[in-house]
Amino acid sequence: MNKQLAFVIEDEPDLATIFSEALLSVGFETKIITFGDVAIKELETSVPAVVVLDLHIPRLAGTEVLKYIRSDERLKDVKVIIATADAALAESIEKKADLVLLKPISFLQLRTLAERLKTTFE
Amino acid sequence: MIYLRRLLDVPSKDPDDARHRKLLNILLTGIGIITLIALLFITVANITQAIEPEDIASVYWGSLAIFVGVIVVFAINRYWSGDLASTLFLLLLTIVLAFGDEPLQVVEGRTLIMFAAPILMASVLLRPAASFVFATLSSLIVIWISRVTLNIFPNIPGILTFFVLALVSWLSSRSLENVLRDLRTVNAELDQRVEMRTRELTEANQQLAEANDRLKELDRLKSKFVSMVSHELRTPLNAIQGFAEMLVAGVYGRLSAQQEGAMDRITFNADRLLRIVSDLLDQARIEAGELAIHVKAFSISELIDDLSATMGILVESKGLKLITEIDYRIPEIMHGDPHRLHQILVNLTNNALKFTEKGAITVKVYPPDADHWALEISDTGVGIPQEAQSFIFQPFQQVDSSPTREHQGVGLGLAIVKQLAELMNGEIIVESEVEKGSTFTIVLPLLTPHHEGEN
Repeated sequence: MNKQLAFVIEDEPDLATIFSEALLSVGFETKIITFGDVAIKELETSVPAVVVLDLHIPRLAGTEVLKYIRSDERLKDVKVIIATADAALAESIEKKADLVLLKPISFLQLRTLAERLKTTFE
Repeated sequence: MIYLRRLLDVPSKDPDDARHRKLLNILLTGIGIITLIALLFITVANITQAIEPEDIASVYWGSLAIFVGVIVVFAINRYWSGDLASTLFLLLLTIVLAFGDEPLQVVEGRTLIMFAAPILMASVLLRPAASFVFATLSSLIVIWISRVTLNIFPNIPGILTFFVLALVSWLSSRSLENVLRDLRTVNAELDQRVEMRTRELTEANQQLAEANDRLKELDRLKSKFVSMVSHELRTPLNAIQGFAEMLVAGVYGRLSAQQEGAMDRITFNADRLLRIVSDLLDQARIEAGELAIHVKAFSISELIDDLSATMGILVESKGLKLITEIDYRIPEIMHGDPHRLHQILVNLTNNALKFTEKGAITVKVYPPDADHWALEISDTGVGIPQEAQSFIFQPFQQVDSSPTREHQGVGLGLAIVKQLAELMNGEIIVESEVEKGSTFTIVLPLLTPHHEGEN
């Protein structure tokens, strides 16, 4: 069986690595994306099971990426985990996301969450 | 009253001149009124035939002459020259005295004393020395009438009295004018001083306002700086924590016991640093008015369980007990900001933990009255001296700020708790006794579902 795909949309390379490792360790195949517009292009061709989304990313804001995901019927089953340090912004889009994590986000915390998500897909 | 004042006042730049002219106007008004009353009296007397009818015509003509004289002098005084008007008035008065009565009465009898009037008035209406001029004039009139009309020896005591009156009048008017001049000088100096002080005050106020603006700007910059630095610090700290956790979790292979110990220290210190940065960021956001309270429904038992999960191990590792109690009257589902309530509980428990060496930390939730609920955190620690209780809630203040202090932290924990409590429309109360322990109580209004989403 193919590994399920997870996108890590995060411009901070170290944090992207940590999030990616957390997802990898529970069996996801991961793709790190740094720019908002690149994320949209990738989403046009593939349907990930999980998206970890930072709200402050270059070129196109994370909120726009979230809007795109929620407006596309093809992507209706995608689980979106918001990872941000901006509590106020997070609060405002809480309802559109499946989960909101406030930075700092621990590797173990994300791994536990990813594990739980993984079981819901299987 | 205003009309009367407007009638009597004469606009003049010289205060002496203005005073002289006003005085003359008062005198003229007085004379006019007295003449009117006299006329009325004489008319009544005439009607009742108390006096001879043939004298009446001259009384009316005399009164008319007085009115005309008063009006002419008044007009000159008001629109032309005060000195001229006064001189004319005094001359007219003297002439009326000289020729208004029988010659003998003028030099020896009832009219002689009347010459005192122009002599005294001259020093007040013109200038102090003018009374001598009118004393001389009156003397000449008396001598002339005595020698030419009556052919008698002039009334020397009467003439001497004129000059004595003139002397007294001159002296008193002169001292009055001197006093007035001194007063005006003092007044001018005072005005100048007041003006100077006012200018100094205005300048000082302006400097204060500028300093205040600079301070506000600095404060704003400080908040912005702290906020920016905190954000920038949190990302690398998050990375340090994450990688440390990954190493401990064996993502990159198994660690030796020693390596694991070192990783624990890294994680512990990164956590501590992250807490300080978070506190700084919260403080900056509170100061900038950017920290909002988000009210939603939460479970009180979950809130307290979360506290036990976060703080329990730390408290027990110090050999202390963490006791939690929720009063049965507290509903399970409450309304408030669980994230910030958790922060309050953690900060207060951390504070208690820092200052307690043995015993227990007790967390109680209870309703102090029908409209409020309270979170009470008490410890059996060193307590807070009375004098320190006033400043422990100030940011960056600590009871012991000496370089040898035993307890760590930047001094923001309690300040943030107090500010959060106030943002929730609540208050914090501290009761403490040295060596016995401290109790911090947060009293908050009981919210209902319709407060949800409120800030």
